[in-house]
Amino acid sequence: MASLDELSCAQIARGVAAGDFSAVEVAQASLSAIEAREPAVRALLQVTAELALAAAGATDERRARGEALGPLAGVPTAFKDNMHLVGTRTTCASRMLEGYESVFTASCVQRMIDAGATPMAKANMDEFAFGSSTETSAFHPTANPWDLERVPGGSSGGSAAAVAAGEVTLSLGSDTGGSIRQPASLCGVVGLKPSYGLVSRYGVVAFGSSLDQVGPFGRRVEDVALAMDALVGPGRDPFDSTSQDCRADFLESLEDSIEGMTVGVVPELLEVKGLTDEVRQAVGRARSALEGQGANVVEVSLPNIASSIAAYYVIAPCEAFSNLARFDGVRYGYQEPGCATLAEQSSLSRAHGFGEEAKRRQMLGAYLLSSGVYDQYYYPAQQVRTLITQDYARAFARCDVILMPASPRTAFRFGEISDPLQMYASDMFTISSNIAGNGAVSVPLGLGRDTGLPVSAQLQGPAFEDRRLLTFARALERAVDAGGGLGKGAPVAPGCAGRGGEL
Amino acid sequence: MALSTEDVAGIADYARIALDAQELEEMTAYLNDAVRLLEPIRAYGLKGVDPTYHPIGDLSNVMGRDVVDASERALPLDDALRNAGSVEGRYFRVPSILGDGEGDR
Repeated sequence: MASLDELSCAQIARGVAAGDFSAVEVAQASLSAIEAREPAVRALLQVTAELALAAAGATDERRARGEALGPLAGVPTAFKDNMHLVGTRTTCASRMLEGYESVFTASCVQRMIDAGATPMAKANMDEFAFGSSTETSAFHPTANPWDLERVPGGSSGGSAAAVAAGEVTLSLGSDTGGSIRQPASLCGVVGLKPSYGLVSRYGVVAFGSSLDQVGPFGRRVEDVALAMDALVGPGRDPFDSTSQDCRADFLESLEDSIEGMTVGVVPELLEVKGLTDEVRQAVGRARSALEGQGANVVEVSLPNIASSIAAYYVIAPCEAFSNLARFDGVRYGYQEPGCATLAEQSSLSRAHGFGEEAKRRQMLGAYLLSSGVYDQYYYPAQQVRTLITQDYARAFARCDVILMPASPRTAFRFGEISDPLQMYASDMFTISSNIAGNGAVSVPLGLGRDTGLPVSAQLQGPAFEDRRLLTFARALERAVDAGGGLGKGAPVAPGCAGRGGEL
Repeated sequence: MALSTEDVAGIADYARIALDAQELEEMTAYLNDAVRLLEPIRAYGLKGVDPTYHPIGDLSNVMGRDVVDASERALPLDDALRNAGSVEGRYFRVPSILGDGEGDR
């Protein structure tokens, strides 16, 4: 008897193709894990059992007909609830979209399904992705599977927690300022924010259009590589004008040696206020691990990265205000009853449909875009963006990847960070790669010395060199495995492992 | 100069988000704090620096052919209306756009 907890995506797909178990049996194992673990973790907003069993049944029928199966055949997968999938609700964890039925399917979701993945669930998130703890979900919080008193991070907290809890093997999230990498770090799983333009955003509810990118979570780097191949393999998406043609060679370059390659470190980033000792030490161990595999280390400088949070909190709220203007209570979304005029209906629908943080971000954006203020903040923020991008270009002229923390600390308690501005600061290491558009990945490094909670390192690469990022991520994973890890990537959180999930 | 509650009421009106008196107070405090967080942006000397609006510099508009697309992307009428709060026949139904002689706010 196998457990879903122990199987990688490749092992599941191989097992389904070989007839060791059926895709339906894998889906049932995932459903049993969800049933046993979800009451404590609450990572999901909707479990799509019927869709899952139908998709898994179709996979098994293809095998019965002798057809080739996809590289993700039977892999249980969850999707962040800002991704449309026909047959599910897409709520963005907001009262505004409570009950909204998807009328089309996002390209990223479709490509995962086309590769054989089984759609198990829609995952919880901060409302409209505004947050770093999943506490702004209008429906319920999600617990960190490693410590149920703590947050999973956010905004893709449900996607990270569902994988860390072993409810599913893969998930997709979206990252506008760190919303994949920070929850991956807090939940001890691998999370990749691909370069801007690598993955189609068609069918994903927009937050910051010059920043948003979709990416995968997995417990192993190999799982994330397989997901990336599925997401970019079919070529650029004609439905998304930002989508670029890229090679689907993530898996084939995964085990490449990093010998002779160069890792950049940024000394000033390790002195940032708020960075905890255990995270600093973990990043130090990661540096040694990469050096131990033959990589050279050079110091590089990103002088303007200190202004990233300020630039981001100009650009992102402005783009959010523009994108969320579509929620006027007319075509979809909450509609305030009994209003005499359209203006009243719009204002009250938005007041009662959006939660506090969603209102704050839109109000900030509305202010920053108003006449006279635009020139003081918005335009200069886009100039600072140029400086940050130039910093990266200078740094990547001297190194292949940059190693830094993903999150300044391990998972915090519910309610511990109640000031929105303090919450914004928790994205200090992730935001700059959204501003510049380059790819970045959070890699689990085991448990922190002081808190006993997952710690991680972040690797950032030049735009469209994401394949190399995963090569380095795999090198780190090898080192963690060799140093007493399970030898097979990050484990399912101990409080969840073994409860349901038998195959 | 700090934003007043009157300023914030004006922004709320423009953003079409109705705020009550207490929410206005809280939002005013938030916006003033948030704007302070953005000050590093104003401290730069940025003369001659071009703005970057988008991470893919050479991106240009993708133009579709000007023909009816009856394929997968064309949303059937029933689907388009399915999530609306009020519909009438083939249409979204809205209250008076101009109001009852009071004008649109």
